[in-house]
Amino acid sequence: MILMQDFSFQYASGKKNALENIDLTIADGDFVGIIGNSGAGKTTLTYAINGIVPHYYSGDFYGSVVVDGMDTVESKPEELAMSVGSVFQDVDAQMVASMVEDEMLFGLENFGIPHSEIEERLSEALEQVGIADLRYRELESLSGGQKQKVAVAAIIALRPSIIVLDEPTGELDPRSSEQIFQLLKKLNETYGTTIVVVEQKIGLLCRYVKRLVLLEKGRIMLEGPVREVLKQADVMESIGMHVPRVVSLHKELVNRGLYDGPAPIGLEEAKAMTEEVLA
Amino acid sequence: MKGLMNYFPGNTILHRLDPRTKILFPLMICIVCFATDNVYVLLGILVLDLMIGLIGGIFRQALRLLKSLLKIAAFLFILQMLVVRDGEAVFHIFGLAITDEGLMTALTGALRLIDITLPLALMISLTQMSDLANALVSRWHIPYKYAFAVTSAIRFIPVFSSDMQTIMEAQTARGVEFDTKNFFRKVGLIVPLCVPLLISSVKKIETAAMAVELRGFNLRNKNSSYKQAQFRLPDLITLLIGVGLIVLGFVL
Repeated sequence: MILMQDFSFQYASGKKNALENIDLTIADGDFVGIIGNSGAGKTTLTYAINGIVPHYYSGDFYGSVVVDGMDTVESKPEELAMSVGSVFQDVDAQMVASMVEDEMLFGLENFGIPHSEIEERLSEALEQVGIADLRYRELESLSGGQKQKVAVAAIIALRPSIIVLDEPTGELDPRSSEQIFQLLKKLNETYGTTIVVVEQKIGLLCRYVKRLVLLEKGRIMLEGPVREVLKQADVMESIGMHVPRVVSLHKELVNRGLYDGPAPIGLEEAKAMTEEVLA
Repeated sequence: MKGLMNYFPGNTILHRLDPRTKILFPLMICIVCFATDNVYVLLGILVLDLMIGLIGGIFRQALRLLKSLLKIAAFLFILQMLVVRDGEAVFHIFGLAITDEGLMTALTGALRLIDITLPLALMISLTQMSDLANALVSRWHIPYKYAFAVTSAIRFIPVFSSDMQTIMEAQTARGVEFDTKNFFRKVGLIVPLCVPLLISSVKKIETAAMAVELRGFNLRNKNSSYKQAQFRLPDLITLLIGVGLIVLGFVL
């Protein structure tokens, strides 16, 4: 569980708070999408969960952040890392090895996983992500999507209870993006892994996550189940955010009095909505 | 740099050698080459070097490396041939006597250069850097930080070079002439290339540092490595061959 209470943070180099008065509870097994314009504090929020803030980037820290019962200020980053797995924005930079297998081994070795257990964990993680065939490949020879999967697999092998991802599909094509989210959903459903993901592609995000958090200028503007948040498309548009096109269509239909159901998520529901309107 | 530090995957007997053997054997060859002045021994070592390439399945790379080494060796040969003045004159170039001793010194010098460089370069192509690092940390107790710094530096070469390519293309698209023939202009263009490259690199390194820390870098110790280097019979044989060669080198 992640519990943020009246949490504010200002980078030592910053002029104003990157995050302000954040009250947020993320329950075990939740799947949360974080959205917002650039500079809204999305990345800082992920840093607050994995302990980069305040351990790597210092600054003024107010309030409290408790992750799996550990206060992030009092716990060491590597202690937190046993519970929280992190996937960063820059895929290339976070890799340590030149071969996929060694990349997978790095975390397992460091956290002192018994050597008798390593093989099982390693092959299982590769299996889950569906890249068992890449095990002996060189990282340089992989595509962006494959690298991203390796990054996720390396984290899964550590079996964290929470995974935090910062724009995992930033440089991926639509098909690979879809695959990454399908993978996250599978992890969430089968193992009850709590997943917090920052993502620009709202349409994609809405089809997979359970809850959305909309950040704007360091504050939480909207927060709740996906459908609840999408109901307030006006708020999102007012700060210049795009809303999924099916949501815009829904809003338009509601405004003209043609439809009064909830906002659709994904094409299937949009199709049903349009058919109902046309009928 | 490409080709020199590259790992060539495979599963030959040389690939499976203990990384420590792969470092020690070239060093032994090095000792042999400095111990002897015998041209036949040096030629024999050259054949051995090429055999390393053959057994390791990288004969083509070995030949390519040999070809580029030959150019440097030829330069060294000519230089020494002209400089060494002792011995009997064999023939004259532009009135300058070329002596028999000069030719011999030049030949052994050139051979030595090739003999010493080839095995190390070839063995490195047959070794995964991470295996080498792990072996050095767990067996020779070199601090992991240093081993990690070296392997990371090598790993980041392609990442940075692709970054540089992107920056160059972006600047070319805005009219910067990277293809200019004027040497001084070319040098001048490097500064506006370096600044963005440096900034993006520092950013990358920062992410790398955070990512590594969150994956337990600080918890690692010398026993962490899963793959343990094993010193086996082929390693023993290889090192014995090395010892034999050293003896031979001192005797002949």
